[in-house]
Amino acid sequence: MDRSATSPSALTGVVRGNGDAVFAAIVRCAAALILLGLGGMVAVMAWGARGAFATFGPAFIVDKAWNPVTQHFGAAAPVFGTLVTALLAIALAVPLAFGIAVWLTEIASARIAGVIGTLIQLLAAVPSIIFGMWGFAVLVPFMAHYVEPFASHTLGRVPGIGPLFRGAPYGTGFLTGGMILAVMITPFISAVMRDVFLSMPAVLKESAYGLGMTRWEVVRRIILPWSRTSVVGGIMLGLGRALGETMAITFVIGNANHIGWSLFSPGNTIASLIALEFPESAMGSLKFSSLMAAGFLLMLISLGTLVCSRLLLRTRAAGR
Amino acid sequence: MTVAEKQPVPAAISVRNLDFYYGANHALKNISIDFPQGQVTGMIGPSGCGKSTLLRVLNRMYDLYPGQRATGEVIFDGCNILGPKVNLNVLRARVGMVFQKPTPFPMSIYDNIAFGVRLHERLDRTAMDARVEDVLKRVALWPEVRDRLHDSAAALSGGQQQRLCIARTIATRPEVVLLDEPTSALDPVSTARIEELLDELKADFTIAIVTHNLQQAARCADQVAFFYMGEVVEVDSADRMFTAPRENRTQDYITGRFG
Repeated sequence: MDRSATSPSALTGVVRGNGDAVFAAIVRCAAALILLGLGGMVAVMAWGARGAFATFGPAFIVDKAWNPVTQHFGAAAPVFGTLVTALLAIALAVPLAFGIAVWLTEIASARIAGVIGTLIQLLAAVPSIIFGMWGFAVLVPFMAHYVEPFASHTLGRVPGIGPLFRGAPYGTGFLTGGMILAVMITPFISAVMRDVFLSMPAVLKESAYGLGMTRWEVVRRIILPWSRTSVVGGIMLGLGRALGETMAITFVIGNANHIGWSLFSPGNTIASLIALEFPESAMGSLKFSSLMAAGFLLMLISLGTLVCSRLLLRTRAAGR
Repeated sequence: MTVAEKQPVPAAISVRNLDFYYGANHALKNISIDFPQGQVTGMIGPSGCGKSTLLRVLNRMYDLYPGQRATGEVIFDGCNILGPKVNLNVLRARVGMVFQKPTPFPMSIYDNIAFGVRLHERLDRTAMDARVEDVLKRVALWPEVRDRLHDSAAALSGGQQQRLCIARTIATRPEVVLLDEPTSALDPVSTARIEELLDELKADFTIAIVTHNLQQAARCADQVAFFYMGEVVEVDSADRMFTAPRENRTQDYITGRFG
């Protein structure tokens, strides 16, 4: 390169106008918009909820009542329902998704794995209202006629866990809600797990097989530890979706303001409660404010889940 | 044309009329070669000539991948390991493998070794500690890691990781150790240490090593096999192979005319 052509002063001069500065300003605005949007949402929810919190105080969170006639509102039942259905969904979906991901990456032939993998992606694209209709038309009667009567006669008599499986077989309820959610989040979780498993270096797996490990040992001792950060991330993604899911669960949760041991009993979730009652509540009324407060709690739970997963992943990474 | 005819050493592994296919691609063509017990067999040849493929047949690593198949015979301990009834977990424990890049497991240095042993043997704490110490000493890693056995293996240098992988492989006491270009990702000092190590290990193990480094083959191997286009062109002692090869293709390769 001919160095004499460029004078040293060119290094500090403005090059080709100030397009770069404009570009930087634009992308900075885009990033700031996210902050503004999130902050604005939290602020609006908190502002809308102020009436409920002013009337009922912090007890709103643990109050089981939801009575529009007496104008007495509390969020305990929908919060309980939200947490129970989401955790049930995770408990059902994680083993299923894990099995799918292991089968797709370790056992199935490439061609079949491709087909099934695509089908799972399609399952993720099914609108939640369809799951709701399917749940209401198929799953609820099935649960009411077969699963719940059978379970209450068998599992319901087991000491300790018995109360979980007793109760009238309505078909709708926490368990059915959890199952619908599980079907909906399984594709997400298994897709994340599959990608993580696929991204694992082949030689690492081969070394493990090379020591004489069985498939299960390779999965349990090599693949899972290696990929746990991303796997937990995928599970949290699913949990977040389960917490916020509305339409599908509205159809099968039973919409009863109820807290109890039985997984068969109808209950409610925050999202479902808001979807059903928000359009009927007058702007500025105490009910309106209580629904806003419930929404605010849902947002806190979702954000809390995310923060927890980050903390969990950080402590695990540090412990390596 | 095998070395067994000239040397009275029995073969640990005998390959007879082996053909190997990646789908439709005929990667190994009617290969026959012996791996004499307690010797180092070096496998050389240009990229894609089939030498790594042969290694992957010897412990049936190819079985992990659909569409790869082998025909012919590979006799190990009186048994054709290509047969359908072979227990692959046992085979792979008896025919260990070390890869081109170090592949420490995501666990501590100690567990990297103990884990493989636990798969096949029940040792109490003391015996396991002794086993770990023993293999780490054999790969000359013990002085460097004795104070941090329970730290993550990922923190070791590349050369240390590769020695750990060799230690991990010999800890399960295999009869044969396969090495697939074990030093190609390492610096010269680490390479030299691993070459020294091979010399000591052959007292207890039969070793097959794939290498692109002809000097390495000359330094480490007792017998050398030259592979070209999926065939074994020539098998001979390292001395003869590098001074007076019988085949022109071998001559061309080792003098650098192609490769």
